Amino acid sequence: MTVFAVDDDPSVRTGLGRLLRSAGFKAEVFATARAFLGAYRPDVTGCLILDLAMPELDGLELQQQLAERGGALPIIFLTGHGDIPTSVRAMKLGAADFLTKPVDDRALLAAVEQAIHRSNILQQQRREVADIERRLATLTPREREVLEHLLTGKLNKQIAAALGTVEKTIKVHRARVMHKMRAPSLAALVRLTERAGIAAP
Amino acid sequence: MNWLDAVWIALAAASTTLGLLHLSIWFSRRSGYGHLLFFVLSASIAAIAVFELMMMRSVSPDAYATLLRWVHVPVTTAVLTMVGFVRYYFHAGRSWLAAAVCVIRLLALAVDFSTGTNLNFATVTALAPHTLPGGAGFVVPVGSPNPWWAVAQIDNLLLIIFLLDASATLWRRGEPVARRRALLVGGGLVLCVVCVVGMALLTFVGGLPLPTVVTPAFLAVAASMGYELGADSLRAAQLSRDLYDSEQRSQLAARAAGLVMWSWDAAEDEFWLNDIGWELFGIPRRERPRLAALLDRIHPDDRARAADLIREAVRTGGSFEVEFRVPLPGGATRWITTRGEAERRGSGGALLRAVSSDVTERRRAERETAQQRNELAHLSRVAALGEMAGSLAHEINQPLMAILSNAQAAQRFMASEHPDLGELRAIVGDIVEDDKRAGEVIHRLRALLRKGEVRRDALDVNEIVADVLRLMRNELMNRGVVVRTELAPGLPALLGDRIQLQQVLLNLVMNSCDAMEGVGGSQQLVVRTRVGDGAGIEVSVCDSGRGIPAADLERIFQPFFTTKQHGMGLGLSVCRTIVAAHGGRLWAESAGGRGATLRLSLPSPRMAA
Repeated sequence: MTVFAVDDDPSVRTGLGRLLRSAGFKAEVFATARAFLGAYRPDVTGCLILDLAMPELDGLELQQQLAERGGALPIIFLTGHGDIPTSVRAMKLGAADFLTKPVDDRALLAAVEQAIHRSNILQQQRREVADIERRLATLTPREREVLEHLLTGKLNKQIAAALGTVEKTIKVHRARVMHKMRAPSLAALVRLTERAGIAAP
Repeated sequence: MNWLDAVWIALAAASTTLGLLHLSIWFSRRSGYGHLLFFVLSASIAAIAVFELMMMRSVSPDAYATLLRWVHVPVTTAVLTMVGFVRYYFHAGRSWLAAAVCVIRLLALAVDFSTGTNLNFATVTALAPHTLPGGAGFVVPVGSPNPWWAVAQIDNLLLIIFLLDASATLWRRGEPVARRRALLVGGGLVLCVVCVVGMALLTFVGGLPLPTVVTPAFLAVAASMGYELGADSLRAAQLSRDLYDSEQRSQLAARAAGLVMWSWDAAEDEFWLNDIGWELFGIPRRERPRLAALLDRIHPDDRARAADLIREAVRTGGSFEVEFRVPLPGGATRWITTRGEAERRGSGGALLRAVSSDVTERRRAERETAQQRNELAHLSRVAALGEMAGSLAHEINQPLMAILSNAQAAQRFMASEHPDLGELRAIVGDIVEDDKRAGEVIHRLRALLRKGEVRRDALDVNEIVADVLRLMRNELMNRGVVVRTELAPGLPALLGDRIQLQQVLLNLVMNSCDAMEGVGGSQQLVVRTRVGDGAGIEVSVCDSGRGIPAADLERIFQPFFTTKQHGMGLGLSVCRTIVAAHGGRLWAESAGGRGATLRLSLPSPRMAA
């Protein structure tokens, strides 16, 4: 769990790093957005404190790039002047918070705590989804077809008719799907697939 | 008394009268030596007339001989003055000839008194009586001629040569006056000498019964010389009248224009001031005018400079121009400008002529204009900074942010059981640095926002560029402008107002940034400083914006001309005013559709020197 901070101003960078460490966080600071992207791994947890106005790649662009790569790193924006259009854009892109410089430690640390909490949740969700996806990946194409029919709420007989086979075979497939997906019930299976982003066709 | 006596007495009287007239003219002027010479000539002629009259009425050969001996004294003085007149008054004739004539004439006088009975006769044996028509009787001497008389003849010959030479010189000058004088000298004087010599030869050698007629001949000469002198005197009188008129005219003009004229003779310490001068300088009327009194009236801060300039002009014979203040009773101040020229005179002396005038009104108007310019500059500066408000806030926020983070980190560190003192020390050090940094930004801003008097300091143009770019760092970054600087090292200092020049540069950079907005591609800004083509320093701000159409290259400097949606269109016009007030130039260049360069040249006092 790490708090990353990107600011082109060395004094601000150093100060932020110290404040975070004094509050017991593991802090890593970067001078530019590019340097941070170079070191970024999607599986990290924590949060990112980002100065809005920076040369080359600015805060909003970095946020966009991170969103594209996927990850669980909430962003807290710092800005010299809280101009409304920019903050709205940042929030729409999923900013965790939007703070105005100079920021009080309590406000900042509270935001960091919250962001880390969110990061943890996100990471948890990420892991769960990954797990579900792994289970999905073990299904054979036939089992996958059966799963999709199941999710639409069809009975075994109807599925057998649709797939041109007998009800008994479907039953075997269904049991295997339930087992592979570790779903105790049809309702649980629906929930799992929903979390993995597979909706009924 | 016969008519011969009467004529000679009249000639003597006329000559004396003429002589006394010119003596009185000489007395009144003292410098016109022509008049003195003329008096001596007239007196000599009167004396000759008296001697001749006595000679013609002599009763014994001895008495005649003695009179003839003594008449050569006035004849000699007459010849000498004649030569002197031609040399001195007409500035003609060769000086060595003049000297020879005088020396030989004096030699003849010596011979007159040392040989024979006189210069003409070795002995006078008898007197032959003759009678002219009208019953006028006179005597003619009979005797043996003095061989030394030849000396006088040589002298007469030389005199004729001298006079002919002098008249030739006068003739060649070509002016009407000189030609008239040439005729007088060549014709009149030579004729007179020839007459006198011929008469003497005929009477004394040829024994012709003629009365001695030296007097009428000389008098004719005297009359013509008197005419010349009189004409000159009349001319002088006319000139002095003209001078008076001209003087009155110039005084009238001076009064009408409120010009004070004064002059100062450095050698004599004589000072002259025209009427309105007393009032302008506020010198009490009862004082004897002196230069010191005038200098005393000048404001103490300006006095030394004015005195130095005047002294320098007097020393070198040059001119000067100075403006100074004269405090008036009641606390007001009068500005006076003075222009003067010194003229060197003789050894060490000099005459200074000067004109002063009251320029208080002009000064006031100039000051008002400057004040308005200053206020406009200030307003436009505030406006420019207002446009950058966000970026400037960031410039202050950054160090404040760092300070707060550091300080609060320190609080937390100290709350722990074993605070790391090294870390705390580093934190405090950083806090101090960041505080200074914020202070500097505020200091620079306050300087720009201040409405101060315009200053004239020695400035490093590179420093001004660096200051402005530092202040605009964030603004430039936010706009995504990449700045490159090419600052020539070791540029001479320029004289000016730091704040106003920073404002000019700030405006130029902001304008360039605006010109590049929304153009696409990389936004490149180059700020250069270098030694200018003429004497001075050149600063240029070059952008990669959309460029300026040729028709607008001059118009962009007009007030209220703008291509932006916001903005008053005053920035560049104010910039140009500021640069002009610094004695510099500001202009725009734009070649082809892309990019523009704003260039300003400023004079550098060191390079001009």
